[in-house]
Amino acid sequence: MSHSLDAYLILAGILFAIGTFGFLARRNAISMLMSIELMLNAVNLTIIAFGAFIASLKVQGSVIALIVLAVAAAEATVGLSIVIAIFRNKKTPLVDEYDTMRD
Amino acid sequence: MPYDTLIPLIAILPIAGFAFTALFGRRIQAQFGKLAASAVPIAMVALAWVAAMIVAYGAITGAAPFGEHGHGVTFWQWIPAGQFTVSTGFFVDALTACLLIVVTTIGLLVHIYSVGYMSHDGGYWRFFAYLNLFMFSMLLLVLADSFLVVFVAWELVGLSSYLLIGFWFPRRSAALASKKAFIVNRVGDVGFILGIMLIWTKLGTLNIQEVLAQIGKLDHTTISWIALLVLCGAVGKSAQFPLHVWLPDAMEGPTPVSALIHAATMVNAGVYLVARTSPIFAHTPEIMVVVAAIGTFTAILAASIAFTQTDIKRVLAYSTLSQLGYMFAALGVGAWTAAIFHLMAHGFFKGLLFLDSGSVIHAVHDEQDMRKMGGLSKKIPITYWTMLIGSIAISGIPPLAGFFSKDEILGEAFKNGFLWVWAIGFLVAGMTAFYMFRLIGLTFWGESRVDPAVEPEIHESGRWMTVPLLLLAIPTILVGLFLGLPFGASRLQGWLEPVFAPAVALGKPEQAFALFGIDGGLILASVAVASLGIALAWRLFGVSIGPIQAKSRPATVNAIANTNGATRFLYRASLNKWWFDDLNDLLFIQIGGRIAYGLWWFDRNIVDGAVNGTGRVISSAGGGLRRIQTGRVQNYALGIAVGLIVMAAAYLVIAGGK
Repeated sequence: MSHSLDAYLILAGILFAIGTFGFLARRNAISMLMSIELMLNAVNLTIIAFGAFIASLKVQGSVIALIVLAVAAAEATVGLSIVIAIFRNKKTPLVDEYDTMRD
Repeated sequence: MPYDTLIPLIAILPIAGFAFTALFGRRIQAQFGKLAASAVPIAMVALAWVAAMIVAYGAITGAAPFGEHGHGVTFWQWIPAGQFTVSTGFFVDALTACLLIVVTTIGLLVHIYSVGYMSHDGGYWRFFAYLNLFMFSMLLLVLADSFLVVFVAWELVGLSSYLLIGFWFPRRSAALASKKAFIVNRVGDVGFILGIMLIWTKLGTLNIQEVLAQIGKLDHTTISWIALLVLCGAVGKSAQFPLHVWLPDAMEGPTPVSALIHAATMVNAGVYLVARTSPIFAHTPEIMVVVAAIGTFTAILAASIAFTQTDIKRVLAYSTLSQLGYMFAALGVGAWTAAIFHLMAHGFFKGLLFLDSGSVIHAVHDEQDMRKMGGLSKKIPITYWTMLIGSIAISGIPPLAGFFSKDEILGEAFKNGFLWVWAIGFLVAGMTAFYMFRLIGLTFWGESRVDPAVEPEIHESGRWMTVPLLLLAIPTILVGLFLGLPFGASRLQGWLEPVFAPAVALGKPEQAFALFGIDGGLILASVAVASLGIALAWRLFGVSIGPIQAKSRPATVNAIANTNGATRFLYRASLNKWWFDDLNDLLFIQIGGRIAYGLWWFDRNIVDGAVNGTGRVISSAGGGLRRIQTGRVQNYALGIAVGLIVMAAAYLVIAGGK
C-alpha cells in the first residue's frame, strides 16, 4: 500500500477536496487564493504520481508538473494583485462583499 | 392651342392655384389683403373655364380630334406591374363636355361669389385653397379615362367636401357633419372599389372605353354584379337612399360650398358615373329597375321631408336629394339624355338657389331659420327675383330650365313603360313646386318675423355676390330652351346621341319626346300639378291680405297637420326626416357601437391577453432566474464544483455500470 499509486491519488483527492472546501467556505480573499494553491498542488501531485508509476508518462509527467508550477506562480501573482486592487477600493478582504460582478 | 394641351390644362390650372394658395395664401392675405389672396385661385378657375369652354365646344361640335366618339389623351403609365398596367389619361366626349360646362361655369361663379360671402372670415385664403382643390378633383373625375383614376378623383372630391363641410371646424356640429359625410361616402366607395376590382379580374383593363367596348363578352351575372357595385359608389356620392343622410348635414359648410359641391357638381358625380358606364347598366335590366326604384323613392322621400323643414338650406338640400332622385329615375328608365339634361339644368338653378339662400342668410345676419325671416322681398330685391326665377325653374313651369328637363324625364318614363316612375315623379313635381314656394313664402312674402335688432340692418348683398346671382339666372332661364328645343330631336340629344348609342341599342329605344299628341297631355298635366303646388303654397304661406291671415297662417298649417291621425303622423314623419337619422343612430351607433365595444373588449382581453400573457410569463421567469446571478465568486464556484461532481457522478453511473 505504501508504494502504490492509489495512496498518492487518495492523498491528492483529499488535498483537492480541502482546497475546494477552503475556496468555497473561506470569506477572506487571501485564504481563497491559498486554497487555490492547495488545489493546484493536489493536481500537481496526481500528475507527478502518474509520471512516477507509469513508465510511458515519465517525461511528460515531470514537464507538465513544471508547467503547472510556472502557471500557478503567475496565477498567484495576478490573483494577489487583483485582490490588493479590490481591497484598496473596498477596504475589506471579505469576498462576500464583492458583488460588482452582478451588474 | 391644340386640344391635347388644353385638356390637361383644365385640371392643372386649379391644382396649381391650390398649391400656390396653400403655400403662400396666408402670407399674401396678411400682407396684401383678402382680395389679393383670392386673385390667383379665381384667375386659375377663370382660365380653366376658358379652356373647358374651348374643349367643350370642340367636343360638342365634333371638331377635329374629337369626332363623334370623343378623344383621349394618355399621359403616362401610372402603374406598370406585369399584367396590371394603369395609364393616366383624359378622355373627352360630349358627355364630358356637358359636365365640364356645368362644373367650370358654376365653379367660377361660386369663386366670385365667395369673395363677397367669405369676406368677413379669417380663413379666407384657406377657403379658396380648398375650393381650388375641389375644382381640380371634380375636373379630374370628369376627365379621367380609367376607373382607377376616377376612383382617386372620387376620393379627392370626398376629401375636399370633407374639408369644406368642416370649414368652420370649431363648431362641433360642422365637425360632426364633415365626419358623417366622409364616413357615409366611404360605405358607397367600398362598393365602387370592389366593382373596379371585379372589372379588372374579369376584363383585365381599367380603361373606361375599353371596358365599355368589352363588357358584352361577360356573362349576365357578372355584369349585374359590376353594375350593382358601381351603383353603390354612385348612390353614396349622389346621396341616394339609403345613403342620403349625409347631404342635409353637409349644409353645415359655408353656403358657396353647398351651392358648388352639394348641389351643382359633386353630388352629380354618381349620375355622371352611371351615365358614363351606361352600356354596363343597359346589359342588366334588373339593375336598371333598382336604379329607377332608388331614384324614385329618394325623390318622394326627400320631397316629403322638405315640406316641414325650417332651415332654409336644409329645404334646398332635401330638394337636391329629390332632384338627384329624378336623375337616377331617369337613368333607371333608360332616359340617359334626360338625366344629363336634368343634371345640367339642376346644376344651374340649384346653384342659383343656394347662392340666393346664402345672400338671404347674409342679409339677416347668419340666421338660417325661415321662421325668423319673412317679408324680405322688398329689402333684398335682386336676391328675391333671382330666387323666384330659380324656384319657378325647379317647379317646372315653362319655359324655364326645369320644365324641359323634368318633363323629358317624366315623358320618357311614361313611354318606356315605367308608369310607376311616372306617377311618383308626377306627384313629386307637384310637391317640389309646393315646398319651393313654401320656402319663398316663408322667406320673402308676408310680414317680417326677423329679429327686431337685425331688422333695420337688412341690406342687399354687395356686387361680388349679386353679379353671380344675375349671371346664374341667365342659364336658369335659357338652358332649357337652348338644350331642350326643338322637341323630339333636341339639341342636347344631338350632342349626346353617340355617347349613349351603345346603351340605347341594348335597351328600349330612347323615344323622342314631342310636344303634341300624348306628350302634350303629359306636359299639360305636369305643368298643372306644378301650378297646383305653387297655388297651395301661395295660399298657405303667401302674401297676407291684412293682418288676419298672417296670424292665422301657422294655425292653418297646424290645423291641416292635426286633421286626423294620418296627417299628424305624416307631419311628424316629415319633420323628423322619417327617422332615418334615428334609425342609423340605433343601428350603427347604439347596436353597432355595442358590438364594436364587445369586439374591442375581446381584442383587448383575449387576443392581446394571450400575447401579453406569454410575454409576462417569460419576463417573470427571467426575473426569477436573474436572482441566480449574485455577483459573488463563491456562489459561482459552488456552481462549478457541484456541476463537476454531478458530471463525475453521471460518468460513473453510465460508464461504471459496464
